[in-house]
Amino acid sequence: MPRTVIIDLSSHREILWAAEETAGAIRADQLIVASGAYERSVPFPGWTLPGVMTAGGAQRLIKTLQVRPGRRALITGTGPLLLVVANQLRAVGTEVVAVLEAGRHPRWPQFLVKARGEWGLLKDAFEYWRGLRRAGIPLRFNHTVFEAHGASAVEAVTYGPVDPATWTPIRSQAEQVEVDLLVVGFGLVPNVELTTLGGCDHRYALELGGWVPERDACMETSIPGLFAVGDGAGIRGAAVASLEGRVAGITAAEHAGLLPRAEADRRRAPFLARLESLLRVRAVLDGMSRIRPGLSELATPGTIVCRCEEVALGEVQMALAAGARDLQAVKLLTRLGMGPCQGRNCAPAMRSYLSHATGRTAAEVGRINPRPPVKPVRLGALARMTRAMPADDPFQATIREALS
Amino acid sequence: MTRASEIVVVGGGVIGCAVAYYAAKRGLRVTLIDQPRRGRATSASAGGLWPLGESIGLGCGVIFYKAQLEQGKVAEAGGPSQLPRAFLDFALQSKALFPTLAGELRETGGLDIELERTSLLFVMYDEADEAFARPLWQNCPCGRSLTEWVTPEELGRTEPAVTRAARGALRFNGDDQLNPYRLADAFRASARTLGAKLLPHTEVRNICVAKGRVIAVETAAQRIPCDAMVNAAGAWAPEIGRMAGIDIPVLPVRGQIVATETLPEVLSACISTTDCYLAQKRHGEIIIGSTTEETGFDVGVTPRALKALTAGAIRAIPFLEQVNVKRAWAGLRPGTPDELPILGSVEGVAGYYNACGHFRTGILNAPLTGVLLSELLSGAPLSFPLEPFLLSRFGAHRDTGASRVGRAR
Ligand SMILES: Cc1cc2nc3c(=O)[nH]c(=O)nc-3n(C[C@H](O)[C@H](O)[C@H](O)COP(=O)(O)OP(=O)(O)OC[C@H]3O[C@@H](n4cnc5c(N)ncnc54)[C@H](O)[C@@H]3O)c2cc1C
Ligand SMILES: Cc1cc2nc3c(=O)[nH]c(=O)nc-3n(C[C@H](O)[C@H](O)[C@H](O)COP(=O)(O)OP(=O)(O)OC[C@H]3O[C@@H](n4cnc5c(N)ncnc54)[C@H](O)[C@@H]3O)c2cc1C
Repeated sequence: MPRTVIIDLSSHREILWAAEETAGAIRADQLIVASGAYERSVPFPGWTLPGVMTAGGAQRLIKTLQVRPGRRALITGTGPLLLVVANQLRAVGTEVVAVLEAGRHPRWPQFLVKARGEWGLLKDAFEYWRGLRRAGIPLRFNHTVFEAHGASAVEAVTYGPVDPATWTPIRSQAEQVEVDLLVVGFGLVPNVELTTLGGCDHRYALELGGWVPERDACMETSIPGLFAVGDGAGIRGAAVASLEGRVAGITAAEHAGLLPRAEADRRRAPFLARLESLLRVRAVLDGMSRIRPGLSELATPGTIVCRCEEVALGEVQMALAAGARDLQAVKLLTRLGMGPCQGRNCAPAMRSYLSHATGRTAAEVGRINPRPPVKPVRLGALARMTRAMPADDPFQATIREALS
Repeated sequence: MTRASEIVVVGGGVIGCAVAYYAAKRGLRVTLIDQPRRGRATSASAGGLWPLGESIGLGCGVIFYKAQLEQGKVAEAGGPSQLPRAFLDFALQSKALFPTLAGELRETGGLDIELERTSLLFVMYDEADEAFARPLWQNCPCGRSLTEWVTPEELGRTEPAVTRAARGALRFNGDDQLNPYRLADAFRASARTLGAKLLPHTEVRNICVAKGRVIAVETAAQRIPCDAMVNAAGAWAPEIGRMAGIDIPVLPVRGQIVATETLPEVLSACISTTDCYLAQKRHGEIIIGSTTEETGFDVGVTPRALKALTAGAIRAIPFLEQVNVKRAWAGLRPGTPDELPILGSVEGVAGYYNACGHFRTGILNAPLTGVLLSELLSGAPLSFPLEPFLLSRFGAHRDTGASRVGRAR
């Protein structure tokens, strides 16, 4: 069903879908959630200024809208995507003054040993790195943005080194550079709203981007018949995502009685073997760009931390002083996370901030519980809800197409 | 009656926070223990303060009545039943406390409860609605002075967003609103300022009763000696009651509710129809409530309820069709068989006090509940008679192990 969003998932695997004009419910015996990820926001002074954008946002401007996002850019964050964006920006004629990687320099020899058998994964990164070298764009490890300056848009950026272990900014060594574009990419956060609403057990795994559903080897969550795959179950990239999808698909077919056990095992085996090999390499990559607590020290009391409700860090600090110890309490006191994004943007950063400030674990700091609808839907569409599929049932049409 | 020297309040919803506040204000030593449970009512509430509307069955009442009619559970008999006079008097007296309370809480706790004068409008669509409303207008238990018959023209002038298809409305002056979790937060913060101890994220596991007296309350980590405890555990009150050997006829009654995205100010009154009620809050979202369902402790939202509430809202305010839903959620009202709260002491267990069963009006009735409990706890004369609200009105209540609770509506 194209242009259709899932707005709720009950623990009996009933999904509620919505389109522009109508909505409906489907109960599935086997359900695979592949909801992907969203970009992680890291608040720092000036991050809401026009001219500061996410890596994904910059890519969209270039690739989809064919717009050059700025004349002179600084790129900051962590992970290989920064290199990709640097090359793309250069290709559309933006001058890239530097790429600031908060993580450490990869120790190539050690890394290459671990990557044995999975060169493909490294080849791309290496190509991008070479592109940077050729263009003379400096790549500075253990560096990050401190502040963006400007009256109505970015005019300059202060940045500097961070402590290699904690990523705590070392402000005494700050430098400034004039740019009109600051691209920020601190990685992705799994989109677990649907698995959460569906009642699946989750655990906090920093190296996978945050909260992730618990799964068995065949991608089934703690709710029987409900599978989670891809970035929505932990950030591990496109190759892993598609393998997980295959394993889940085969297993769902097996559960539905369409594949005998032995046949399902036979089909799953090569994908499971490949997954194991890929995950070994990912573990090293993920370790390098795992987000560190020192980033929480970038924001100052005046920094907006929740854009929807315009809550500043100072208000969160006041909530802490008033006894709040978890995200839910901060939410009720400050309205943080009460806006349309439901905390998608502010919660990951505020979780680290609260952990950092209170010494409590991410699990203790808790979560902002997602509420339906997890995607925007009009009242009119819900009011016209039908139990049945829409008349010109695109779902059936897709199935017919696939079968013909 | 004597003054309690060490008090534990179990449950930190609006009721527990109100009790802690008024007790601390009287200089009592009080500890408030709360373990947040999914579906706790206070954070799910709409925040309507509708003593008149609620006592004659508007708000959730009329929606509930319609559902019962459809299921053939009640005979057509001229609308939802009215609650007893004692309820209206209680609610009116509680409502009257808010203006002063708002100032007190701002001063003591530094929080604004976002109290707004709004009035409540019962919007009529057809003859049946009019037939229900007319006698209420003519002989409302609150007297004629607080109600007002609104013609379609007047309605169009004062609430231009409301559908032109309406046949007018009945207005209840004095039915207002506030921000419900701010109210609980403000009570809690003020109680803390006044010396109350807070144990957040702590579950009460046991109540120690010796020789017919409460002597301590236990959590996983500690034993808190006390000579009085207050059961303010909302829909979970029966669990706490059982720990003290008392059978409490409270049942969770789920209410599903929808909030729109933030809108410019389009409603000045709160609206009640036979389909739903609507209230625009300080921050611009319109809250659309609510269902009344006995589905245990399930706090999911259902397609059926979303459809009914959104369709009802669009019928009342047509432009909402194009507006986005921001959020839908559900909360568990602590329901009782006769829809009245359960307050005060219980024969046979000294030092045990109820402050539960507030069903659909716990926000409205929190202040007077807090006042009364603080009076009981300090041995002061009561500012409202408690008899109609005592647990003993249900007859036998000592837990025999096999007794069944009554059915809440
Ligand atoms: C900017 C960017 C650049 C990247 N570059 C690379 C790269 O160079 N190499 C690499 O290996 N990986 C890269 N990745 C990661 C890669 O894109 C992901 O690992 C991969 O796409 C994961 O696949 P997925 O199917 O799990 O999620 P996605 O591809 O994100 O798909 C999830 C889908 O679910 C939909 N969805 C989510 N919620 C709902 C809902 N409620 N209702 C309906 N639909 C919903 C989304 O709209 C989306 O279409 C990049 C990611 C990003 C964001
Ligand atoms: C959708 C909806 C709309 C409503 N609208 C209105 C309205 O407009 N106006 C109005 O006046 N009322 C309204 N109500 C009713 C009102 O919300 C309730 O009557 C009121 O919140 C009850 O408060 P409470 O403190 O008794 O319960 P709760 O708010 O549920 O608080 C009970 C607390 O006790 C805690 N607890 C439970 N067990 C334990 C334990 N063992 N140890 C420690 N803590 C424990 C719970 O986690 C919870 O925090 C509405 C209710 C709903 C659901």
